Amino acid sequence: MDARVKEANLDPVTLEVIRNALPAISNEMAADLQRTSYNMMIYEVRDYCTALVDVNGDLISQNVGGVSHFVADLGVLITDGVKRYGANGFKPGDVLITNHQAVAGQHLNNVAIYVPCFFEGELMMFAIVRAHWVDIGGLSTGFGAGPDVADPWLEGLQLDQLKIYDDGKPDETLYRVIRDNIRFPESSLGDMKSQIAACRLGVRRMEELYRKYGRPTVVAAIAQIAEETQTKCRNVVSALKDGVYQAESSFDDDGVLKDDPVRIHAKVTIARGSMTIDLSGCSRERKAAINSRTLAGARVAYKAITAPLEPVNEGSFRALNVIIPEGSIMMARYPAPMVNWSSIVPTVVDTILTALAPAMPDRVPAAHHALLGGAVVFFGVDPKTGRRFVVQSLEGGGWGGRPSEDGESGTVSVCQGDVRNGSIEGIELKCPVLVESRELRTDSGGAGRFRGGLGIDLTVRNLVEGRWNLNQPRRVKCAPWGLWGGAPGGTAAYLLGTPGRNEWDMVDASRHPVPAHSRVVVRTGGGGGWGKPVARDPKRVQWDVVEGLVSREAARERYGVVLNEANEIDEAATRALRQRLEAQAAGA
Amino acid sequence: MLVVAIDIGGTFTDLMAFDDRTGRFSDSKALSTPNRLVDGIINCIRKSGLESGEIDELIHGSTTAINTLIEKKGAKTGLLVTQGMRDVYIIGRGNRPESYNLFFHKHRPLVPRHLTLEIKERLLASGEVLEPLDTASVETAANFLKDKGVEAVAVCFIHSYVNPDHERRTGEIVRRILPNAYVSLSHEILREYREFERMSTTVVNAYIGPVVGGYVHSLKNSLADIGFRGELTIMQSNGGVMTPEVATARPVAMMESGPVGGIIASARFGVALGYKNVISFDMGGTTAKASLIKDGETTMAPGYYVGGYASGQPVMLPLVDVVEVGAGGGSIAWIDEVGALKVGPHSAGADPGPICYRGGGTEPTITDANVLLGRLDPNQFLGGEMKLDAQGAADGIKTKVADALNLSTVAAAEAIVDIANAKMSLAVREVSVAKGYDPRDFALVASGGAGPVHVCAIARDLHVPTVIIPLFPSNFSALGMLVADERHDYTRTYYTDLTNVDFTHLVRVYEEMVEQAGAGLRRKSSAQYQVHLDLRYVGQEFTLSVPVTLEQLKAGDKQGIRTAFDRLYEHRYAHHSPEEPVEIINVRVAALGKKPQLEFPRLGPAGQAKPARTRKAYFAEAGRETECPVYERAELGAGAKFSGPALIQEHGTTTVMMEGDVCTVAQTGELIIRIRGE
Repeated sequence: MDARVKEANLDPVTLEVIRNALPAISNEMAADLQRTSYNMMIYEVRDYCTALVDVNGDLISQNVGGVSHFVADLGVLITDGVKRYGANGFKPGDVLITNHQAVAGQHLNNVAIYVPCFFEGELMMFAIVRAHWVDIGGLSTGFGAGPDVADPWLEGLQLDQLKIYDDGKPDETLYRVIRDNIRFPESSLGDMKSQIAACRLGVRRMEELYRKYGRPTVVAAIAQIAEETQTKCRNVVSALKDGVYQAESSFDDDGVLKDDPVRIHAKVTIARGSMTIDLSGCSRERKAAINSRTLAGARVAYKAITAPLEPVNEGSFRALNVIIPEGSIMMARYPAPMVNWSSIVPTVVDTILTALAPAMPDRVPAAHHALLGGAVVFFGVDPKTGRRFVVQSLEGGGWGGRPSEDGESGTVSVCQGDVRNGSIEGIELKCPVLVESRELRTDSGGAGRFRGGLGIDLTVRNLVEGRWNLNQPRRVKCAPWGLWGGAPGGTAAYLLGTPGRNEWDMVDASRHPVPAHSRVVVRTGGGGGWGKPVARDPKRVQWDVVEGLVSREAARERYGVVLNEANEIDEAATRALRQRLEAQAAGA
Repeated sequence: MLVVAIDIGGTFTDLMAFDDRTGRFSDSKALSTPNRLVDGIINCIRKSGLESGEIDELIHGSTTAINTLIEKKGAKTGLLVTQGMRDVYIIGRGNRPESYNLFFHKHRPLVPRHLTLEIKERLLASGEVLEPLDTASVETAANFLKDKGVEAVAVCFIHSYVNPDHERRTGEIVRRILPNAYVSLSHEILREYREFERMSTTVVNAYIGPVVGGYVHSLKNSLADIGFRGELTIMQSNGGVMTPEVATARPVAMMESGPVGGIIASARFGVALGYKNVISFDMGGTTAKASLIKDGETTMAPGYYVGGYASGQPVMLPLVDVVEVGAGGGSIAWIDEVGALKVGPHSAGADPGPICYRGGGTEPTITDANVLLGRLDPNQFLGGEMKLDAQGAADGIKTKVADALNLSTVAAAEAIVDIANAKMSLAVREVSVAKGYDPRDFALVASGGAGPVHVCAIARDLHVPTVIIPLFPSNFSALGMLVADERHDYTRTYYTDLTNVDFTHLVRVYEEMVEQAGAGLRRKSSAQYQVHLDLRYVGQEFTLSVPVTLEQLKAGDKQGIRTAFDRLYEHRYAHHSPEEPVEIINVRVAALGKKPQLEFPRLGPAGQAKPARTRKAYFAEAGRETECPVYERAELGAGAKFSGPALIQEHGTTTVMMEGDVCTVAQTGELIIRIRGE
């Protein structure tokens, strides 16, 4: 037992009460932020995290339900801030702002605000909120900046650990610099206000906790909780067979340098309860803006297999060792461009999980669509009102089949938790577009004993001229893969139909100008299948056909299930066809 | 007037009656009859000895609606949607609230995809027709559903909240082709934007409609058979009651009516005692529930997810805002794999129940801990009808908790109770502190079999100065139903900048809504209407409901409305932006049919409170076993006053007062407890 625990005489009741109180504080911060924020990236996409981090950068608690790839990645910001200002360099009324990529390692839109928490004059920790601002200046608004944005200066305003409030006094100069260098300042500065309010709320709640239980008790409880969390995770890994497990996947290219695949490789070593995830085999940093500095891929995968439903704290990752060398695509050196910093992370997660499949066959699904959207981004100026508008939504795709059930359809990636698509009526109320359909794509789910979920086709007609972001997803050659004989899911794409043209075009561009009444299909991928398709219960295949999720042709060709016009199973033909397919597979 | 409330619970059907001519309460209890709930109701009336023909009003709270959905026993349902929108209901919002769970489930649709059909029609957000309704496509769809043997049809078109014409005409055609089907049109259920949530609410309504309709019908018949000639009313989730006709058309409105009776009662009796601001705290066998009442009014939530946020079905009808935690008398105490003591959310329920119930339970529960600490008397449980096994409770706590933690059995029992109290305190905090209210400005009203046992400890934890133990705390929900008013809530999306509002038009919309909401009221002549506007700063998504008056709307009082919004925002979030533009999203109208107030009896003259006996009990503050006075509640007269530690015994529960707490008995019989005598 930790020495501090004994000293503080931590009883089981107090420990349990504090264990419940800490995540409740982060969640209350999150609820406050979400309900007062101004941009849909926060209130709908929940592209934020709220947390308490101690002076050493250790995570005390983080909100549940936000974007998953923000897991426990705030410590580096605090460590850096403390290094710059010194442990004595903070005052109770300070508010700091930062998004600088040398440390933060994400796109500049992700602006972190943090506030020190003091108790009886001593700096105890920081309350911190990172949130996606709708605009940060630079080349284009929102997601407008594509993989071709070559450096951080093109991307936008860089804020490097600045005090926007010093000892309670706002820095008007800094405030004006920000206001004058971003689009939609009323929105982003409104969000900043909400971030500050959420941090102050967290600080207030921590002060109450210290007052109630005393400083040594709270400190001891935090240490004990992290310790227990670590033990729980270690126990899960201990049950796995020691060994080295590997898997590999790729992106077709990085969006700038064509025909040069971006390699993703995971080597996972399990040894007596410890896990090492070595991502050294991944691509080096790129000229395209898909770089980052993040452990998120490894951490999300580890969390998903160890303690998916438990709150996060520093102990969640103590038994995990992550290796990513400096200069790797996920440990890129400043000023490598990072606009699309998180775009590869879901694929990294899938690759790690796939590596582990032989070690835990009953707990790893086939690959999911792994893209952060179906991102729907269309912007312009509404000629009727003269106001700028941005249409934003994230459409989900299919998830992989699982060891005992089908994958879910039309659901956001593993890196996006409680991210909701834009309501069609809400979009049309605010922006001059018509959403013509949001539908599941028949046959896009990978065939398998347990089928992959389906991808979506969202069709939007813009009623006024404007610009679309149509950066093609780059997971076509390496489609969402199946597991244990399952087939891959359908791949994603953007299709553009301009007035007067009878064909869909595969434009690959950011900020692509289009005339009024153009139509865009935002297509998301399906999930891979789990297990051999011919092992799927014919009745399930039949039901999928009745439901229109699988076509009658695919039932025959992929699953070997023969249905007549009335969708009745021809049992004899099915048996024969399945035997033939099995034999073919064995022969191949 | 003889009014009777009947509340169906999982185990028992409770009856509570009051006759204001004689000033007499009566009550009875019968086992619930899950397969034929109506039988349980009739049994309960028979057992009460009341003359059916003399009952003026019978108010009924039923779990039929929610159970039909949870047990998936609803009708075979079809869904008609705008072209291109077939999968909106299946896809939902595409989110995964359990971020790291690879085995997550999204909501499970109640309508299969092949019974979801697209109709050729399209409206714009302004309500203008982009593509007229193709009635032939409706006929084709309706005939297809008829062939498939569909019993209920939901219709939900894009932007129908602003222009319901297409839905209305579609409804007419469907009713013509499927005359026996139950039909729900989305604009009749919820005229609010966000198509998935509106669609889900409409589908739920259609899915449970035939079952609930049949239930209400058979209840009416069975009551008529035993001679009932009075008015039948049904409890709703919004804290009001409705006629059987409205219940048949909007069964989704009764989904969460279970917990609201006690909250209505808390509001009513709080006000009667001079406490307008109270927090209702109800603790039963499996969960504890908290709900906040401000200025005598319950707080409302705009909707909820049946089965939980992560995988549940959205039902976006206003309901009384309740926070529920998994801590009830039957909640199990356990040690997790790293040696931490946990309480709940698993519950021993009624079967096998806590160890002390002798029903075969082996896991220690909160009730077992209370028995061990002497707070519950093993010989007086349910008026002595049930003798509890105190030794079994002690043994269970020792082997399952105390030994593992290296604590004495008493310390382990205290730890169990303390952890449960802390959990429940979080629930009370969530309805108050998290919404900008200071619990110190409120009184706690405790109900449920376990509420009065724990409430004083929770009040201490949150510095709540006053606790009220009402009459009949273990029958409080039925008591609340006796006093509930009629209430209908209607919401309509009305999207515009506050600076550009056409108030003349807004008043017209208000009048339309009043007509719609008032139509279902039995007591139209005395109806009152409340208006709220859902407002937000331009660019935000979430709104705050701001109360306004009809006079403000008629006078076009933008500034007054704006100021009220800024003030509410500041109160809720501790900051506001007076310079930012504000927009209106929804208009909310609540129609209230106020019921004549019942005159409840007063207690006999004050007498000196005398303990009936003493009992050994443990209190952490005393640090040892104390000889604690026990009062019989039935013997306490008005004005009686005494201090804690004390136990107040009554039929369904025991009130536990700590050292220093001071109890005074109100004229109407409630116990008013000043925590620490403050």
